[in-house]
Amino acid sequence: MKSKIWYGLLAIGILLGLWNAYKVYSVGFTLYAKTDVLVWTLPLSTYIFFSLTSAGLAFVSSIPVVFGIRRYDIIEKRTVYLEISVLLGSFVCLILHLGSPLQVIYIFLSPNPSSPLWWLAMLYHVYFVVLLLAFWRIHTKTVSKALGVIIFLIAIGTSTTLGWLLGMTDARPTLNASFFSVYFPLTAFGSGIAAIILFSLVQGQLSDKASAETATELYDELARIMGLIAGVVLILFIWRTIIGGISSTAEEFRAFKHMIGSISYHIELWLGLVLPTVLMLLPAVRKSAWGKIAASFLFLVGMFAGRLEFVLSGVIRPLGQMAEGRPEFVSYMPTVYEFFVAIAGFSVMLLIYTVGTKFFKLETAPKH
Amino acid sequence: MPRYAMVIDRQRCVGCGSCSIACRAENNLSEGVYWSHKITETSGVFPNVRFHYLPTLCNHCTNAPCVRGCPTRAMHKLENGITMHDPKKCIGCRYCMINCPYGVIYFNWKDGHQFWKDEHVLIEGATSSPAEEVRAAGGKTTPYYNPKNSKAPDIRPKGVVEKCTFCEHRVRKGLLPNCVEACPADARMFGDLDDPQSTLNQLLGKFKPFRLKEALGTDPAVFYIRDFSAANYPRTKGAA
Repeated sequence: MKSKIWYGLLAIGILLGLWNAYKVYSVGFTLYAKTDVLVWTLPLSTYIFFSLTSAGLAFVSSIPVVFGIRRYDIIEKRTVYLEISVLLGSFVCLILHLGSPLQVIYIFLSPNPSSPLWWLAMLYHVYFVVLLLAFWRIHTKTVSKALGVIIFLIAIGTSTTLGWLLGMTDARPTLNASFFSVYFPLTAFGSGIAAIILFSLVQGQLSDKASAETATELYDELARIMGLIAGVVLILFIWRTIIGGISSTAEEFRAFKHMIGSISYHIELWLGLVLPTVLMLLPAVRKSAWGKIAASFLFLVGMFAGRLEFVLSGVIRPLGQMAEGRPEFVSYMPTVYEFFVAIAGFSVMLLIYTVGTKFFKLETAPKH
Repeated sequence: MPRYAMVIDRQRCVGCGSCSIACRAENNLSEGVYWSHKITETSGVFPNVRFHYLPTLCNHCTNAPCVRGCPTRAMHKLENGITMHDPKKCIGCRYCMINCPYGVIYFNWKDGHQFWKDEHVLIEGATSSPAEEVRAAGGKTTPYYNPKNSKAPDIRPKGVVEKCTFCEHRVRKGLLPNCVEACPADARMFGDLDDPQSTLNQLLGKFKPFRLKEALGTDPAVFYIRDFSAANYPRTKGAA
């Protein structure tokens, strides 16, 4: 009965996404809370959230395969499958963000290697195919080290290229390249760990099987690493705030200064970074399953808000002639259709993952 | 091959907006889209205030960040220096809009000229709806249709980005961009930057030009010369 309700909810989420696609392509993108200024908003930030979480899961999956730390074998299969699910969720959000998704074929027909976006697109295409192959190998035969290494390198590529992509925008220095090329892979790794802890332990808690208990020490270790990452990111985050948001007098940083007062900024800071760090510093909380679940969930909520905060910090201040007749900062509130994009992304990801837990025995350790 | 550029004389420009209207008519632009636009600023404190007007359009930068970032080369440079866009290749990612420091690229959020599809009647029994008018006029989607623009789509396509093309379809035929043609004050000059004898280069040599956000290194092809001010002030020994 419970599973029927679960599948029903996910089906509703996917139907909302399909309805959204129909409306957007028939009526127009004006259904999103976008103006000529707010060209990147919640659909894109949700895509970035998913794609970086996927890269983080790739880092986690490479621990046993690339670095040979075999005690992580027990979560390898689940991690790779979750990676596929999250990546598909990201594709849903990306398709609903793009104005003409069918013309993506020109990524191949008319390539532009000087564009970081082209490199990202190419990397994701290869990534998806390699991921499917890697999972198939894990499921049917043994782990492929070669495929694992490729996935690891692509994850480094995607998470750092995003920094290049944003750093190229010289007119919007709040999307600072050097900062984000460090911040993205680091938060991606944290998100990947948080995701695998969350999905494994929630399933362990919900199911009668004590599958999660067999790897308690492993999850304790992962929780420690996640807390450490949250702490390091917190320090980076505070320095970013001090340097760009408080110390800088450059008018280009006004957008970021404006974002410091936003809800998404505070969700990332307090729920996503401070609370998980504190929770994981407390041994009693760290050792309890629900403590780890809470910290992982909060970290992911913080990252979701953080991706939106950084996207908005690049676009809320109109540039050039776009500033004509507009306030210095354009306010943003997602529309119901933008929420549908995010809901559809999560629904697709969760449906694929749920199906996987039923049919692919994700708790089994792969052979080497 | 010429390298096209534009000089805008701010002393001659009266801020009438003809350039913007001419651009809209020539390129069938939808409401809210301004390939040719302006930046207005005021300076001073009331009652001593002044109004400044700066016409704007795509700068057709030599080092165009929009071209560099476009993943499919939908945004591309022609040999004559014009930055063009190809709606067939555009995926609608809007990265060029993020990259452009001048805010001159527009995304077509919806089908153009939707007003003419409206079936709403303002006064029942007295007026006809826009859609009825269109049907009565022969069933065209929109009555505002400029067939001269043969290369770009006649009606702006949805889901892609577009911007000023220096009216490339006119330039190919030896005509001036429509904003230049329509300027009643002759404040816009269009010509070849590689021709040392061109009027364009004479103006650039005669007056100290400036370009927008030059420090970014985009090398814009739109130059501004002079400034308009009818104001004067009495000579003093410096006490202000």
